[in-house]
Amino acid sequence: MTEGKILTTEEIVKYFTDEFKTKIIDVKIKKRSAGIKKNITPYIWMKIDKSAFKDIIKHLFTLHYPQLSVISGNDLGNTIELIYHFSINYGQRMNETILNISVDLPKSNPEIETICDYMPGALISEREKQEFLGVKIIGIPDKRRLFLPDEFPEGVYPWRRDETGPEKLYRNLHEAKK
Amino acid sequence: MSKATITKNNYQIPIGPVHPALKEPVFFEFELDGERIVDVNLKLGHVHRGIEWASRKRNPVQILYLAERICGICSYCHPIAFSLAVESAADIQVPERAEYLRVIHGEIERICSHILWAGVAAHEIGFDTVLYLSWQIREKTLDLTEFLTGNRVTKGITMIGGVRRDITPDMIPKIQETLKYLKDNFEKIRHIFLDDKTVKMRTKVCGILTKEDALKLCAVGPLARSSGVKKDVRVDSSYFAYGDLDIDYITPDILTGEINGDVYDRIIVRLLEIKQSIDLIEQCLDKLPAGPIVAEPKIPKLLAQLKKVNGEGVGRHEAPRGEVIHYVKLDGINEAPFSWKVRAPTYNNILPWIPMLKGQQIADIPIVAASTDPCMSCTNRVGIVKDGNMYEMNKEQLHKLSIEKTRRLML
Amino acid sequence: MRFSMLPKAFAQMFKKPWTNKFPAKYIPSNTTRFLEEVQAGKTKINPPIETPPGFRGKIQYDKEKCIGCQLCLKVCPSEAIEFKPEEKKIKIYLARCTFCSQCNDICPVSCLSMSNEFLLADTDPYSKNLIVE
Repeated sequence: MTEGKILTTEEIVKYFTDEFKTKIIDVKIKKRSAGIKKNITPYIWMKIDKSAFKDIIKHLFTLHYPQLSVISGNDLGNTIELIYHFSINYGQRMNETILNISVDLPKSNPEIETICDYMPGALISEREKQEFLGVKIIGIPDKRRLFLPDEFPEGVYPWRRDETGPEKLYRNLHEAKK
Repeated sequence: MSKATITKNNYQIPIGPVHPALKEPVFFEFELDGERIVDVNLKLGHVHRGIEWASRKRNPVQILYLAERICGICSYCHPIAFSLAVESAADIQVPERAEYLRVIHGEIERICSHILWAGVAAHEIGFDTVLYLSWQIREKTLDLTEFLTGNRVTKGITMIGGVRRDITPDMIPKIQETLKYLKDNFEKIRHIFLDDKTVKMRTKVCGILTKEDALKLCAVGPLARSSGVKKDVRVDSSYFAYGDLDIDYITPDILTGEINGDVYDRIIVRLLEIKQSIDLIEQCLDKLPAGPIVAEPKIPKLLAQLKKVNGEGVGRHEAPRGEVIHYVKLDGINEAPFSWKVRAPTYNNILPWIPMLKGQQIADIPIVAASTDPCMSCTNRVGIVKDGNMYEMNKEQLHKLSIEKTRRLML
Repeated sequence: MRFSMLPKAFAQMFKKPWTNKFPAKYIPSNTTRFLEEVQAGKTKINPPIETPPGFRGKIQYDKEKCIGCQLCLKVCPSEAIEFKPEEKKIKIYLARCTFCSQCNDICPVSCLSMSNEFLLADTDPYSKNLIVE
């Protein structure tokens, strides 16, 4: 977790692709400008392979201690996609880069390692993914439910769009009748 | 009662979802040793409303109003973060005048929220007259909001690609009159909060959050800044017109020269942010450029354009409580987005409660919890509400304990 | 210094209170009798504070201008607008309306506008006052 010098967006991408070559499947850089002076905020979207997940996270932490904003999840039919939204290089004016790392998990075996040993603040996001998408997180320190009540049936995952979704629990909602 | 062995055990007190100390429902379980807290355990989920699921059958313009009703105090920052995410996914360029207007509305909301918090914090200590004084000042700001947007709370001023209403030159005298009133009364509030002996006795060395804990637990907003971590989305990244304005991080050492991370520091940070907001609004009014206020004024055309977009976007904004982030994925087939994830700032500020409350007395729970400015309505929105929750009504006199401690310290 | 609020609290005793006393100075012990007295002209209701121009109150619908394009149905977040196919006009249920005025913005002939009426409480959600057509 050394400070080091501040890298530009392209150098950050190179820092990862040099180390991990084929494990990084796809990289997209998007730059948004705002205001009269048109200052730029860069966004990096990286798609990585599940097997190198923990090493890539460790590599990120050597750059700058990031802030994990949230972990979002998508149900794409055969796979579940988890996206980790990090941001690094905060602390100085207009230096921040936003890094979104997305991992695909097959539905037959939706398991991934925890990052709570590097960052204890990820606990709430990981607990939420366990109960809403049915992802199993290996090594999580606290396995209890977070938002759903304890009486909620097992095996029903509210964010999924397949047969384990919550269709049987709808009652009288006019959106359901549409 | 067997007299064979007398062991010293810790008590466990549940403070259930509905209780007088906190304004919104959250379940705590404290393990106590006498009056000191040893461990904290908490449960959320009492205000789930299924908002993210309700967005699956609505188009983006309807979702703006759904997002507004996530929370009453943060009713501007959720639609604006959603709009930033959609604009990022669809590559819409917002006109410059709209960006300056968005800053003005965001800062007015920040002033209202921080003054409300100041009143609530004073009420938790037992200082009710300060509650009435600060909320009287807030009434003038709410009148200004009603004049500019049409309503006091659910503003409805955001549109994807800009804002809905313009600020014409005849509205500007009223804005300046309200800012002058705020500047005159700011000194009154500052004097009461920061110089009063009672407030200092109750809040110094209470509820401390160290810098390492704030970094590791991903605290955001004034909670992180009062512990010395410099995180502020308005300064770190350039969105709206913040890149053109003169703005810096607010940490407690600007006023006192040292950083302790206790409740007193959080009061300092929030009061200084009110002053910073007044200054930012004045800068914006000076530099307001001319031009259109929305990128695409015809809404059916905007909806048709968004229907064809296939992409994902992230929108971040600095709400009064911290960083709000929305993630939107549009799939190019339906009008409704494929997925929408909302993360309100209180979500990240819940884990720091545990190191802050360990070692404190019970009577300090209301002021420490209120100092993080929790907004539970923002935190619980996911999933489907199912009847069957059992609420615990208990007669915890937490608030009364807090007032009695103040009286004890004063004599 | 101690008691920093005391001078201000003392001064407030001699000033006019900030609260606007709408509808009466004290809560009436029997609301129905109070309303009967108002109708008979014996007591008066204190008026509420004036609303600013641009306030979003009860919606007003100009029936002749409406062309039946159904664009307002598409943007209503709570689906409070219903289309009457035989006349090609709309019907708005105020019990579901969120007063966002998005329908005003999208209407191509500007037949919808917001008035400044906000005292709309009623016991029946489908009463005559709460349906605009």
